Amino acid sequence: MDPNTFIPTPDPIPAPSWFFIILEQLLFLLHIIVINAVLGGALILLFKRIFKKEDAEIDRSVAFRLPTLIALGINFGVAPLLFIQVVFGNLFFTSSVLMAVYWILIIPLLIIAYYGLYINYNSLSPLFMHVSLVIASVIILYIGFMFVNNNSLMEQPEKWSAYLENRGGTILNISDPIFLPRYLHFIAASVAIGGLLYAIVLNVKQKKDKSVDQQKIINSLKIFAIATSIQVIIGFWFLLSVPSEFIMNFMGKDLFSTIVLLAGIAGGIGAIVFGFLGKLNAAVIHALLTLIAMVITRYNLRMMYLSDNFQLSSLTLEPQYIILVLFLIILVAGLGSVFYMLKISSVKAERRAAQ
Amino acid sequence: MNYPIWELYGLNSGTLVAVIAVLHAYIAHLAVGGGIFLWLTDLKSVKDNNNDLRNYVKKHTRFFLLLTMVFGGVSGVGIWFIIALANPAATSTLIHTFVFGWAIEWVFFVGEIAALLIYHYKFDLMSDKARLQVAFFYALFAWLSMVVINGILAFMLTPGDWLSSKSFWDGFVNPTFFSSLFFRTAASFLIAGLFGYVTAVFMKESEFRTGMIKYCTKWLLLPVPFIIVGAIWYYFTVPSSSRLTLFELNNQNNIIVLFFIITSVLILVMGPLYLLKMKSLPQKVMVFLFILIGLGWYGSFEYMREYARKPYIIHGYMYSTSIKESDVDMLNREGVLKHAKWSAVKEIDSNNHIEAGRELFNIECLACHTIGGVKNDILVNTEDLTYMGMISQLYGQGKVLDYMPQFVGTKQEMEALAAFIIEGLHKKELNTELGSYTPEPVNNDILPYDKENSEYVLFVWNDLGMHCISDSDPWFIFLPPANTLEAQLIKRGDRPQIISDGVEIRFMVESGYENSADHVKFWDYAENYFDVKLEKNVGLGGLGLNGVFKYNKVRNSFIAEMIPVTPYKDDGSYNPYPQFYVEAVDKKSGEVLVKTKAVAPVSTEMGCRNCHGGGWRVNGVSGVTDETATNILKAHDRISKTNLYQSALDGKPLLCQSCHADPAIGAKGIPQHNNLSAAVHGWHANYMYIEGGDACVMCHPASKKGNTRCNRGIHGVLGINCTSCHGTITDHASGLLNAQKETNSSTRLIKNLKTVFAQSPEAVSPRIPWIQEPDCLGCHENFAKPEEGSTGFNKWNSDFSELYRVRTDYAGVRCEACHNSTHSEYPARNDFGKNWDNSQPMQYANMPLPIGSDFSCEVCHKKKMEMAIHHPNMERDFRNIDIVNKME
Repeated sequence: MDPNTFIPTPDPIPAPSWFFIILEQLLFLLHIIVINAVLGGALILLFKRIFKKEDAEIDRSVAFRLPTLIALGINFGVAPLLFIQVVFGNLFFTSSVLMAVYWILIIPLLIIAYYGLYINYNSLSPLFMHVSLVIASVIILYIGFMFVNNNSLMEQPEKWSAYLENRGGTILNISDPIFLPRYLHFIAASVAIGGLLYAIVLNVKQKKDKSVDQQKIINSLKIFAIATSIQVIIGFWFLLSVPSEFIMNFMGKDLFSTIVLLAGIAGGIGAIVFGFLGKLNAAVIHALLTLIAMVITRYNLRMMYLSDNFQLSSLTLEPQYIILVLFLIILVAGLGSVFYMLKISSVKAERRAAQ
Repeated sequence: MNYPIWELYGLNSGTLVAVIAVLHAYIAHLAVGGGIFLWLTDLKSVKDNNNDLRNYVKKHTRFFLLLTMVFGGVSGVGIWFIIALANPAATSTLIHTFVFGWAIEWVFFVGEIAALLIYHYKFDLMSDKARLQVAFFYALFAWLSMVVINGILAFMLTPGDWLSSKSFWDGFVNPTFFSSLFFRTAASFLIAGLFGYVTAVFMKESEFRTGMIKYCTKWLLLPVPFIIVGAIWYYFTVPSSSRLTLFELNNQNNIIVLFFIITSVLILVMGPLYLLKMKSLPQKVMVFLFILIGLGWYGSFEYMREYARKPYIIHGYMYSTSIKESDVDMLNREGVLKHAKWSAVKEIDSNNHIEAGRELFNIECLACHTIGGVKNDILVNTEDLTYMGMISQLYGQGKVLDYMPQFVGTKQEMEALAAFIIEGLHKKELNTELGSYTPEPVNNDILPYDKENSEYVLFVWNDLGMHCISDSDPWFIFLPPANTLEAQLIKRGDRPQIISDGVEIRFMVESGYENSADHVKFWDYAENYFDVKLEKNVGLGGLGLNGVFKYNKVRNSFIAEMIPVTPYKDDGSYNPYPQFYVEAVDKKSGEVLVKTKAVAPVSTEMGCRNCHGGGWRVNGVSGVTDETATNILKAHDRISKTNLYQSALDGKPLLCQSCHADPAIGAKGIPQHNNLSAAVHGWHANYMYIEGGDACVMCHPASKKGNTRCNRGIHGVLGINCTSCHGTITDHASGLLNAQKETNSSTRLIKNLKTVFAQSPEAVSPRIPWIQEPDCLGCHENFAKPEEGSTGFNKWNSDFSELYRVRTDYAGVRCEACHNSTHSEYPARNDFGKNWDNSQPMQYANMPLPIGSDFSCEVCHKKKMEMAIHHPNMERDFRNIDIVNKME
C-alpha cells in the first residue's frame, strides 16, 4: 500500500522549517544529555546498590540531584517536542496515535518515576528507596523505549498500514532492524553520561572538599569510557541495520552526513581515550562534540528515511515573524531572569549575605 | 479525516482528556495562585520578621513543589499528549497557529521551574531580599504561563476575528481572553488558600497555627467577590448560542451545572467552618475533603467551558469530529470516506456497509461516544431506535440540538453508519419497510332507497377524513376515541328544504364495534386525562356507540360528537372504517323517514414505531405498544427535561395537549410552548430523512400498503398525495412554526429546515393547525378543474368558517354532505370494501360520484335542474369518469 495515501496533510508553518529544526535539535541535545544523566545515574546507583558497592557520600549526592535533573530533562524535552510537532507534526501525531496506549502511559508512569526519584533520596526506609529507584529506572527505560518506537514509526510511514489491523494504539516497531540497536544506543549513552555525571559531581565536591578521592573520579570516567566503547560497537550495529542506500550515504555518498558521522565517531574515540586516561574536562568536551554530531546524524537519518514520503520544501509558510521576534525577546529575558536568579542565589551571594 | 483514530471504544480518548485536564487545571491554578501566595506570605514574614511564618512558607514550598512541579508539570505535558491522541487535527491547528505562544509559554515554564527549584533548595541560604525576588519571579512566571494558556484555551471557545483573519493576535486576544483571565486569576487565589490549609492544619497546635488557618481562610474568601464578577463577565462574553448549548440544550450538563453550584456553596460554607474552634483531627480530615470539593468545583467549571464549545473543538472552525466547517459542503457532496485517509473503506457496497459504518463511527462519533463504555454510550443512546430511527437521528442530529455536530457525508454513508450501529452493534435487522397489511374486502350492502317516492334524503359524514386514536392510554394520549358524525336531512322537491326540527336522527354502529372499552384502555384513564368520569363505551361528548344526533344551528346540521368508536372489532379483527347506520325518524309519528350508512374512519396506525421501536399493539396489525410509547416518553423527557415517563409509571400519564395547545380539542396548552402540530411536525421535520409523500406516511395512516390507507378519496385515486396540498414535511412544519414565533423553540426548530415547495421557510404563510388548511379553491379556482401543476400548498383559508369541513354551498348544503369528508371525497376507493365510503351516492344515485354531479340533481330536486345554484361549474359530466370506472 502506498504510504502516501496515509500521510496527513500538514498545516502551514509560521516560520521557515530550518528555524524550528535548529531549535529542536539544540534543545533535544540538552534534553538528551540530561535524560541520559538521569537514567545513567539511576542505573549506576542501582548497580552499586545491588552489588553492595555503595559509596554513601557520592551516591547520596547523585541521588539528590536526580529529581532536579529529571525536572530539567522534562523541561528541556517540552521544547523539542513542540518544534518537532511544527515541522513533522503530521507524521508525529500519526505515529503517536498508532501507539497511543503506550504513549499516554508515559504520563502517569513519568509522574511515578519522578516521585520515585524523590523517595529514593528522601525516604527513611531503605526498602522504599530501593524499590522506588528500581521503579523509576524501569519507567525511564520504558519511556526511552517508547520514544524510540515513536520516532522510528514517525520516520517510516510505510509501516503505518499496520493500523488497518490494529487500531487500538498498541503498534510497536520492534521488528524493524534498527529498533534494538537504536534503543541500546540510548541505554549505552545513558550509562556513559551517568558515569560522567558521577565524575562531575565528584569533581564539584572535590573542589569544595579536597579529601574526595581522585580515584573515584577516574573510576567514574572508566564507566563512561567502557560504556562509550560498547557504544561504538552498538553504533556500528545501528549503522549496518539501516537500509543499504542510507549506509552508502554515510559512507561518502552524502558528504555532509558522512563528515558529521565521522566527526561523531572521532569524538567518541577521543572521549573513550580521555575517559580511560581519567581526563575529565577533555572527556566531557569530546562527549559533547560526539553528542552534537550524533544528534545531527540522527536528524540526517530521519530525513533519509522520510525522503520518499516527506519534503520540507512542501510545507507552506505563513509567517508570524513579529511573534517570532517576541518569542526571541522573551527567551532572552527569560534566560536572563534565570541567570539573575542563579546569580543572587549563588554561593558568592550566599557568602555576601552571610557577611 | 486526516489522522488515524484511536479505537478506544470502551473509554474514548475524550474521557482521558477530561480526567487529565481537570486534574492538571486544578493543580496548575494552584501553581499560579500558590506562587503569589508564597511570595506575599514570605513578604509578610520578612516585614513582620516572623520566623514561624517563614517556616510555614518553607514547609509549604516543599509540599507545593512536589505537587505543582511534579504532578502539575507532568500532567500539563499529559494534556498535550492526550489532546494530540484524541484530536490530532485540532492539536495541529493549535500548535501551528500558536507555536510561538507555546514557545513563549515554555520560556515561562523554564523560569518557573528554575525559580521554584532555587527558592526551595536555597531557601535558607539566600538573603531575604534575594529570596523574595526569586519568589516574585516564580509568581510572575507562573501567572504569565497562565496568561498564554488562557489565550489559547479561550481561543478554542471564542476564536473571534481569527476565523476570517487567521491572525495570531486576533486568535489570542479573543473575546473571552480578558474575562477568563480575570476569572482564572481570582480562582487561583482561592485555590491557593485552599491548599494553604494543608500545611497549616498539619502544624503543631499553637496560636500561630490558628492564625495561619485564619490567614488561609482570608485567601479563600477574599477572592470570592472577584470570582463572582469574573464569572458574570465571562458568562456575558461567551456567545449566547454557547450559553444556550451549555445551559439549556444539552441535558447531560445539568448535573455538572448543579455540581458547580453545590461545590461553590460548599466552599463558601466550609471556609468559615475553619474559623470555628475545632480539634486538630477533624480539621485534618476536612482538609482532604475540602481539596476534593475544590477539585469538583474547578473541574465542573472546566467541564462547562468545554461543553459550551460543543459541537466544536475550535468554535466555528473545526468540529469535535476534526471535520472543518469549511469542508462540510464538499464532504456532503463527495462523501467522507473518500477523503478519510485512514479509512479501510473508500466506497460503500452491499458487502462492506457495516465496515464502512464502523469507519464512519470512528470519524464522526468516537470523539464523544463510547461503545458500551464509561460515557455517552452509543448502545444506551440508541437502544430505543430502529434502523429508520437511527437514520433519522443521524439526519436530524445537530439541527435542533446543536451541541452535536450535524452528520457529514452522503446519504449512503448515513445509512452505513446507521447500519453499523443497528446491525453491527445492536444486532437488530435493517428494516426499511413500513408495516404492511392486506385488508380482506368486505361486501358492502347498499341500503335500499326509493328514488321516486322517498320524501327525504339523508346525508351523513364524518367531520374528518380520518380520526386517529393514540391508543397508548397508560402512557400518553393526544387523540381519544372520538369520531364526530354530522348529518343534513333534506326534504326532496323542486325547492328542497334542509330540515332542522321535528325529526330525530339516530345512529347505531355496525355489529362488532359495540365494545370499544374491551379494546383500548381509554376508560381506565379518561378521568386522569379529561377530568370526567365516563361510563365504559361512552365518549367525551356523552354519546355511546348508539345514540341521537343533536341539531347545531351554526353548522346547519345534526351532530353526534365524539362517538368513542375504535377500529378493533370484538372478533379480534381490525377495520378502520366502521359503518354507522343512521336514520331520520319523525318525532311525532315515529316513522323512519330515511335510513343510510356512513363511515366513521378511525385508525390506530401511528407510525411512531417505525423509528421509536416496538411492534403493533393489537394482533401485530395496529396500535401503539407500551414499548413504543415509553420510548417516546423517555426521548421527550431527555430532550425537554420533562418527567413524563415517571409520571405515567406513577399512574398519571399526561395528555400531550396539557402543555401543547391544540385547536383540534380546544386545548390552550402552556404559553411559550409550541402548539401540538407545530411541536410534532417542527421537531420531526428536522429528523425526517425521507422525502415527499413517503415522509408523511412514516407517521400518518396513508401508506398504500398500510392497515388504513386513509388517502382514499378521488384525490388519492388520481395519485395526488399529501404533499400536493400540505407541502413536504419541511414546508408543512414551516407554516406551523411561522405562526408560533413567540415560543421559545420555534426559531431553533425552523432554522435548519430546507423547504421544497417554498423558497425558504420564511416564505410559507403562517398557519394555525386545524383552523387553517389548504383551501380547496386554491387549486379548484372557481370550482373548476385545477390547472396543471397547481397546488393547494400555502393557500390557507383565512379563518375557521372557510374550512371545507364547515363550509356550505350557496344553498346552505354543507360541502361534505355532497363530497364527503376530506381524504375520502367521492368517488372514494376503499380497499376494505367496494364503495365502502360511497354508500350514500350509491344508495341515492346508484353511482359513486359526488351528490348532484353528473347532472344527478334529482337526488334532492327529484328532477334535472337547469341552473347550478350550489356552486359554479357543477353542470357538467364528471371529469375523471374513466378512472372511476376502473376502480374496484
